Order: sequence, then structure tokens, then C-alpha cells
Amino acid sequence: MQRATAPYILILPSFLLAAAIILWPLKEIVSLSLHDVNRFGMLRDFIGLEHFRVLFADPDFIAATWRTLVWTAAVVLGTLIVSVPIALILNEDFYGRGFARILIMLPWAISLTMTAIVWRWALNGESGMLNSALRGLGLINTNIQWLAEASTAFPMQILIGILVSVPFTVTIFLGGLSSVPDDLYEAAATEGAGSWDQFRLITLPLLRPFINIAFVLNTIYVFNSFPIIWATTQGGPANSTDILVTYLYKVGFRIGRLGEAAAVSLIMFAILLVFTIIYVRLAMREAKA
Amino acid sequence: MTIKQKLCLLAGASLIAFSTSAFAESTVRVTIAEYSKGTGPYFEEAARAFEAANPDTKIQIEVVPWDNLQQKLTTDISAGANADLSIIGTRWLLDYVKESIVAPLDEHITPDFKARFIDTFLSPSVMNGKVYGLPIAASARAMYYNKDIFAKAGIDTPPATWADFKTAAEKIKQLGGETYGFGLQGKEIETDVYFYYGMWSNGGEIVKDGKSGLDSQAAIDTAKLYKSFIDGGLTQPGVTSYSREDVQNLFKQGKVATVITAPFLSNQIKAEAPNLKYGVAPIPAGPTGDKGTYGVTDSIVLFENSKNKEAAWKFLDFLFTTEQRTKFDKVEGFLPVNAEESRDPYFADNADLKVFTSLLPNARFAPVIPGWEDIAQTTSNAIQKIYLGEGEPEATLKEAAAKINETLK
Repeated sequence: MQRATAPYILILPSFLLAAAIILWPLKEIVSLSLHDVNRFGMLRDFIGLEHFRVLFADPDFIAATWRTLVWTAAVVLGTLIVSVPIALILNEDFYGRGFARILIMLPWAISLTMTAIVWRWALNGESGMLNSALRGLGLINTNIQWLAEASTAFPMQILIGILVSVPFTVTIFLGGLSSVPDDLYEAAATEGAGSWDQFRLITLPLLRPFINIAFVLNTIYVFNSFPIIWATTQGGPANSTDILVTYLYKVGFRIGRLGEAAAVSLIMFAILLVFTIIYVRLAMREAKA
Repeated sequence: MTIKQKLCLLAGASLIAFSTSAFAESTVRVTIAEYSKGTGPYFEEAARAFEAANPDTKIQIEVVPWDNLQQKLTTDISAGANADLSIIGTRWLLDYVKESIVAPLDEHITPDFKARFIDTFLSPSVMNGKVYGLPIAASARAMYYNKDIFAKAGIDTPPATWADFKTAAEKIKQLGGETYGFGLQGKEIETDVYFYYGMWSNGGEIVKDGKSGLDSQAAIDTAKLYKSFIDGGLTQPGVTSYSREDVQNLFKQGKVATVITAPFLSNQIKAEAPNLKYGVAPIPAGPTGDKGTYGVTDSIVLFENSKNKEAAWKFLDFLFTTEQRTKFDKVEGFLPVNAEESRDPYFADNADLKVFTSLLPNARFAPVIPGWEDIAQTTSNAIQKIYLGEGEPEATLKEAAAKINETLK
């Protein structure tokens, strides 16, 4: 009896804390999303799922949802693909490795908003550094207006997203690589395995749990990431680079429809929750097999 | 230390404690929008000067960047943690009045106080016959033009009509190089307003008889006109990537020959591009001689839930003395809202400001309608689509007008 209750008593304080900072706001948001709310957050009539109906009838919301999925998938996969080789190189012993590591990690030390604003300047059509660099190299003759339309702005935003996600991901991978014992490679080398086989058969499987965690954490961060898109285009022109967070901000704080904004945030929460559960399930099944 | 000394100290200490509680009994919190880097220091200085004259009141200034002001006010008000006074865009005022968030000021306003103001600037803050805010900042819009570029292209006077303007822009294009006649804003705050300049010249209105004017012939003509500037290479390329600040910067760099903006650009040019030769002219007129400028005021409001209304009012009274207004408008480059202030030689003899004040009789203020930001966003989106060539002007504007009419209902 005593043994059965003790764990619950011990986790009770942290449970209460978590409940206070997670469950209570959640309850508030649910209630906002089901009521008619004025622009200052005062509740009026209960209107059921009306806010959700309005959202799903809004083509901008549907477009922003799809764009969020593209944005998340592109940034997360791009980050993983870029980070694995970087981590492998930084794990090798070479002259100037410390310096190289600092260079790769440096973007992490700068706030995301600052990075995004610097990129906004760099991407400026008439006085941006990117255009003048490309012209200096003779690659283009006329300035490219990077942020003028989604077809150039959105890919650049994804590239910036990858750039800022790399340091964190590389750090996780470096931790993973340092836990791979060297004698595995020595044994493999004596058996005649080339470096590609060593990577495929030893490094990648042992790095697997680290890739998983980097995948899940990056997905959550990137899905909810606001500064890059807001600082460069504010989701424009004409909502063509909006993702769900920027859409949410506009609906909530620009236009002042707090009820709809609450509904958007619940939908985002649900998407992330479903995604994470599926992913954790898959990862666990794999681990058992 | 003797007991007597201790007693004395104690008495002294309690006296200090008593006096602080007796004198500094009210704190007035003021939320200030940051117009420039001079805004915060100006208000801090004003607060200290006020405190020196009124030792029983403490003024606490909170400076917020413009972009975050709406968000801060929304969250503060919904949590009941708002300041006593705040600057807001007068175009938002109706939403605040409807929800009884702000208090009418009439009981404090004496005829003398009212007489301080230039009426044009006070009237936008009057709703249902009551004064709900005082115009803390006022500006109008006019066209800045680069005299050197105009001279090089052989143009002597700033364009009087949009047709003249187009001819001028074509001449500037023929100069070759990367200089463009019309600096056109197509991104972020006031993208819609930049469109209204042309729309007003063509005789259009933002809202007429409770309906959006975006589907009027004037609006459609303006969209086609602006689009012809874009397609003809008469604007900077990629207009949808240029915010108001970006276009102003192009003007300072001499890359665009004109920009339509507020008086504060003069101060910026003085500081950042002192060698730029520029002039200020009215916004070109339309085919029938119609013209208009955008008059903007920001209001400082008193919240209904303030517990220090008396002290807050006293601070307002202080801020709107001629001396304080003159200081503030010089720092920011705004138009004087105070009649006596406008006779100050700094304003009265300033060539740039004279053009702005001469336009005031034609100034359009944001209409008193709910959901101004909502309408601004719908309008900006529609215009961006037209600028990008993603939407045919007439159909896009009609669709936007229908959406705005829903908001206006």
C-alpha cells in the first residue's frame, strides 16, 4: 500500500506545477475558442464550433496550413541532411577543429530575430548584400527582388530556417558520435569494410536515436517558429508566405479576433500532438523490433 | 548613541516614511509608442519635469515599439493590467469606445483647454459628441521629390497631376541607370494608404454610405494606373518587397525620384543624407482636379479602469502645454496640433512643413468605422495581388470590397 502511493505523492508537486502552467491556459484557450470574444478578450455568447467553421471556410487558413507542413518538412529534413556530414567532419581530428566548431555554432549565439532581420537587409532588392555579391561574381545582371514574391521569398526563408537549425542539430549529433566506440571502426576496418560501409552499417544505426530526437525537437521548434517569416515578409505579399503562427498573430493581434486565434492555436496544438504521438509510436516499435 | 538620539532618528525615519506615503500617493502609468529614438527620452524628461512640479504624483513611462503596441494593449487590457494613459492610433479608437475601455474626457476639458487645439486635429478623437482622446501626434502626407534627378531629366516643377507625373517618370527612366520615377510602397503597414493617395485623386472614398469604395471606378482606375507605372518600369522593381521605410531609404539613396510620406522624413534626411536636394509638393491631382492627403493623428487616451484619473488628467494637461508640444514636435518632426505652437518660427517658417499644413483642408482622416485594421489588411492583400500581376484589377478589388462590406456590417 505504502509502496503504491509513495510515487504518486512524490510526483504530485511537479504534476501540479505542470497542470498550472499547461492545463489551465489550455482550458482558457478552449473556452476562448468556443465563445464570441471581443478584441480585448472579454467573453460573450457561447457559439460552439463557429470559429472553427469560419476558419475552415477561409482559403488563407487552408493555404497557411499546407504551407506550414511544407515549411516544417523542408526545414527539418534539410537540417538533418546538412547536419549529419557536418557532424561527421567536426568529429574528425583535424587542425583548426575548435575554430570550425565555433564557426558552425556561432549562429546559435545570436537571437533568431536578429538573424532574420540581418537576412531581411541582405535580401533587399536594391541595396542587399546578396544581390551585390551575386552581381560581383557575375552570376546575375539585374537585381533579384527576393522578398517581392513567394516563389523566391519562401525558398529563402526555408534556407534561413535550415541555417539556424543546424547548430543545435550538430550538437546533438556530436554527442551521439562521441558515444560510438572507436574499436568498432577498427574491427570493421580489419574485416575490410570501406568508409561508406562503416558509415552505413555502424555510424548511422548507432546515431539513429539521436537523429530521432533531433527530428522530433526540430519539428516542434520549426512548426512553431515565428521570427524568420515575420521579420522577412510578415507572411506577405498577400498572405503568400503565411504559416500558421504568422496567420495566428495577424488574426489575434492585428485584426483582434481572439476567438478565431484561439481556435487556430488549438488546431496547431492538435496537429503537433498527433504528429508526435505517431512518431513516438513508430520509433518505439522500431526500437523493440 | 543615547536613547534620545535613537528616538530622534526613529522620529526622523517615521517622518520620511510618512511623508513618502503622503506625497507620492499616486503613480500614473503611461504607455508610449516609440516614434523615433527621441521619443523615450522626451517623455522621460517631461515626466521628471511634471514630477518636480507635482511631488505627489509619480509618472511611470513604458515605451513600446509601434509594431507591438496593439499586441501589448490587447494583452494588457484583457488581463486588466493596462496603464492609466496610452497612445493609440485614432483609427482604432472606435473599437475602444464601443467596448467602454476608454473614458470620455469632457468633464475635465475647459473651453480654454479646448482652444489650445487646431480643430482639424482634435475632431477625429471626438465620437458621439464626446472627446475620447487628445491628438498626441499629427501628420499629413505629401510628395518628396529629388530636385537633382528632376533637373537632370529636364523637369522644372513637381508634377501637378498624375498624367504629368507619368510623363515625368518616363523622362526619368530615359536617363538610364537604376533610378526610378515613382517610389511605390507595396509591403507592410500603410500599403493600403499608398493606394488611397491615387484613389482620392481620382475622386474615390475608402467608405461611402457605409459601403467599401474599393469597387468604385476611381479605385479600379487607380489600380490600373499604378500597375501601368509598375509594368512600364517607372517604379522600383519588386514593389511588394518595399515597406514604407524601405522606399524612404531608396529616396535618401537617390534611387527613386519621389516618395509620398509624412513630414518626419525631412528630419531623417537632415540627419542621414544632408546633401540630398529635395522639395516637398502636394500629391498629384486627378483628371478632374481632385486631390487629397492622408491626415493621421494618434490619440492619447485615458482608460476607464484607471484609479488615478485626476492625476492622469493633470499630466495630460501638462503634456499639451505649448512648451511641451513644441519640444515634442521638434523631436519627432510632426505637425503642430496646438494653435499657439504653430506660430512658433520653427514651424511657421519651415518650407517643408508649410506644404504639409497647406494640404490640411483636403486631408482625409481614417473614417470612423469598426475593424480598421481588418479592412487595411484586406485592402493591402488585394493591392499586392494586383501589383504582382496575380489578380486582374477589377475582379480583385470587387472581391475585396465584398469582404470589407461584411466587416462593415
